[in-house]
Amino acid sequence: MLKQLGNMLAKRLGLSLVTLLLLSLLVFAGGQLLPGNVGRAILGPLADAASVAALNHKLGTDLPVPVMYWRWISHFVTGDMGMSYAFQQPVAPFILRALGNSLKLAGVAFVIVVPLSIGGGVYAAMHARSWIDKVISISGLSMTVIPEFVSSIALILILGIWLSWLPVSATAPPGSGALEQIYHLILPSLPLVFELFGYIARMARAGTVEALDSDYTRTAVLKGLPWRVVIFRHVLRNALLPTITVVATQLGYLVGGLVVVESLFRYQGIGSLILTAARDKDFPMLEAGILTVGAIYVLVTVAADLLYTVLNPRLRAGGR
Amino acid sequence: VTNKKLWLDRARREANDMQNHVIDEFLAGHIDRRGLLRHGTAYGLSAVLMGGLLGVSTQKARAGTPGSTVRVAIVTPTGAINPVTVADIGGLVLLQQTGEFLIIDDPDLMLKPCLATSWSANKDGTVWTFKLRQGVKFISGKTMTADDVVYSIARLADPKQGSNALSAFKGVLDPTGVVKVDDHTVEFHLSAPNGNFPYLVSSDNYNAIILPAGSDAGAYEKTFDGTGPFKLDTFSAGQGASFVPNPGYWGPKPLPARTELTFFADQQSQVLALQGGQVDMIQQIAVQGAQGLINNPQVNLINIRASTHRQVHMRCDMAPFTDKRVRQAVALTLDRPAIVKGLFRGLSDLGNDSPFAPVYPSTNKSVAQRAMDIAQAKSLMAAAGLAGGAEVTLTTEQLQEIPDYAVLIQNAAAEIGLKINLKIETSDAYYGQATYGNSDWLDSQMGITDYGHRGVPNVFLSAPLVSTGTWNSAHFKNPAYDALVASYVASTDLSVQRDVSGKIETLLLDETPIIFGYFYNYLAATAPNVTGVKVNAISQVFLAGASVG
Repeated sequence: MLKQLGNMLAKRLGLSLVTLLLLSLLVFAGGQLLPGNVGRAILGPLADAASVAALNHKLGTDLPVPVMYWRWISHFVTGDMGMSYAFQQPVAPFILRALGNSLKLAGVAFVIVVPLSIGGGVYAAMHARSWIDKVISISGLSMTVIPEFVSSIALILILGIWLSWLPVSATAPPGSGALEQIYHLILPSLPLVFELFGYIARMARAGTVEALDSDYTRTAVLKGLPWRVVIFRHVLRNALLPTITVVATQLGYLVGGLVVVESLFRYQGIGSLILTAARDKDFPMLEAGILTVGAIYVLVTVAADLLYTVLNPRLRAGGR
Repeated sequence: VTNKKLWLDRARREANDMQNHVIDEFLAGHIDRRGLLRHGTAYGLSAVLMGGLLGVSTQKARAGTPGSTVRVAIVTPTGAINPVTVADIGGLVLLQQTGEFLIIDDPDLMLKPCLATSWSANKDGTVWTFKLRQGVKFISGKTMTADDVVYSIARLADPKQGSNALSAFKGVLDPTGVVKVDDHTVEFHLSAPNGNFPYLVSSDNYNAIILPAGSDAGAYEKTFDGTGPFKLDTFSAGQGASFVPNPGYWGPKPLPARTELTFFADQQSQVLALQGGQVDMIQQIAVQGAQGLINNPQVNLINIRASTHRQVHMRCDMAPFTDKRVRQAVALTLDRPAIVKGLFRGLSDLGNDSPFAPVYPSTNKSVAQRAMDIAQAKSLMAAAGLAGGAEVTLTTEQLQEIPDYAVLIQNAAAEIGLKINLKIETSDAYYGQATYGNSDWLDSQMGITDYGHRGVPNVFLSAPLVSTGTWNSAHFKNPAYDALVASYVASTDLSVQRDVSGKIETLLLDETPIIFGYFYNYLAATAPNVTGVKVNAISQVFLAGASVG
């Protein structure tokens, strides 16, 4: 069992490295297709051509494309993320700070949405076709289809401006404690809760309905097990397997895909960092940002597979 | 002989030819009070003298309570805060928090002494002499002298520095033209006569802050060393900056105890932050997306007339625009008052198809405003042999109101049988390499381009319109126009300037290489309890007199 898992993990991680390398090439090549250059991005379209050329020379962004890529990748593999073209500062602190911020926001959203949506889905399944099932399913679905930029603004207007319950900015004042930071992150995490609640709740509901209908549940009930034991040991363990995969894959989105929410709530996460870097043609920053998000996607997918294997009795050699 | 006459005679003896000319113009009633202040400052008349002429005191008491923290939402700077390369409104507002200019260009386009106390030109406007303020210290402790001014300005005029200000100085000032006379006098020897040179070393040229001689522009971010009322407290790239009063400041002590300039990625989040009370002010707002702030009692709107505009170019060397009657016809289809009302809620001046915005005092207002006239437009099309219509492509960028403006032009032109196909792309794609042959901006048959505010029209008159201009997207080549612009730029005489601008306006109305539909106002917003903030159309925000509450 352990050996099997170890092999699988090694293989998956090896493939992941190849994926990330391809990703870095793709981002680089894509960046070359975009018009403009770093000097032009900094000085603007109306700047004198001589100034743009001089600035590009100073920044080292007038070198041939493969040379620039080689310079970057040969340093990157040794752990040196390089200097940002736009900010003229090392990239690593930017990435670390943004990643930290993104993880905090994702964490708060995750802590709110996972219990809420799984609880809601399971509850709906156990009361299938009742009015409460319909409320959970329909409201979940409706919230999922509202784009983030709509729900964010509605939430800001209602909770932030009219009622003044929650701060509009996701960034707590410098030197704030953990509680203050979490308080500032509640409002920005609500649009994400909206986005994910319907999806996760539907998965949980579908799995639970199926498990409730299954032969093993009927057997468990008929052999006289208490209802609690039936639900927790037999129903949920089987019902939530697909949900776990879904939840894990959403983690990647929560960390790297929140450009809209981050910009509306003025939060320096990794999503807005990537957007800015792409706009400025800040190649070292862009590569580092995208590879960070890519690595997170790869890692959570591997982790989800691993978890699935561990939890699924059918894929587990020595399971109970 | 009255006292006033005696005083004036003495003042005249101290003034040079050009300054005396301004005084004559005012006394003869050729320029009004505003014009006196504006032109007087450009030619270096002292504030005391102008105050005497106007019979008013120019000293204003500073109101407001000291000790506030003023929080301003600004646009995230696009790059490092480097005084030589900064080219965006997020960067330039940071430069002027701790840095100062020789001259301040006030919101009403009047020049006010700052690090220079006076300035004057020789007779033909080729050599300008600036007297520097004494007893000014940099935050780092060094006393400011002519060496610092020579170093700072010459660097901006140097083509090898990657300077953003090069486009302003090119053909006007070479690095060798900046000459120290003594510790407190600097001369600028220009490549060609220029009657408006002081604007190029004023706050209008936002890179031109005075820095210590020998300082490294690339390391500026670490110190923000300057001579201004504030000094840097903290700076965090991509996040924001805060400033506290500079105890060694030469001028009056600033009111705020602290200022915080926070970076925002877009306008929407700034508007929400102002409404939510997280900031006290927004550096700049566009009407698009900020409609909720206009006519809102919870918000104080700062509204300044400006020369910010869009240029609708029509390529004079490409059919059907080779015939000027077609270009005139397109310009005649536009209902400008309605366009301005729709796009800007009326917070804009009308354009008259020349760079002379109504805000410029040198604009000749005797030239009639072009108005919509579909019948005439149709007959012009017929005269050009296009009664059956024609088809063109208008290329432009996805920026603020521009796509809406493009649709309005498309609809208007349809009335005279001109079918306009729209191609709307990102700003990056539109500007491309920004050189002829590699840029939709410069190569397209018809296009709309954004132009930011300038304190004087010189750049708008030359780069997009003279035959050798580097931004001539209309490919307009007219020797008579070129000659008029050369004489406008060189002229140091007010009445001549206005005379020439009348000729330029008339010529451009006839040729219409570019439609100047509107010059829209600069808007900023504050919470209602904010006072004493000074903003100009460059997007600079002066907080020394600000208070909250």
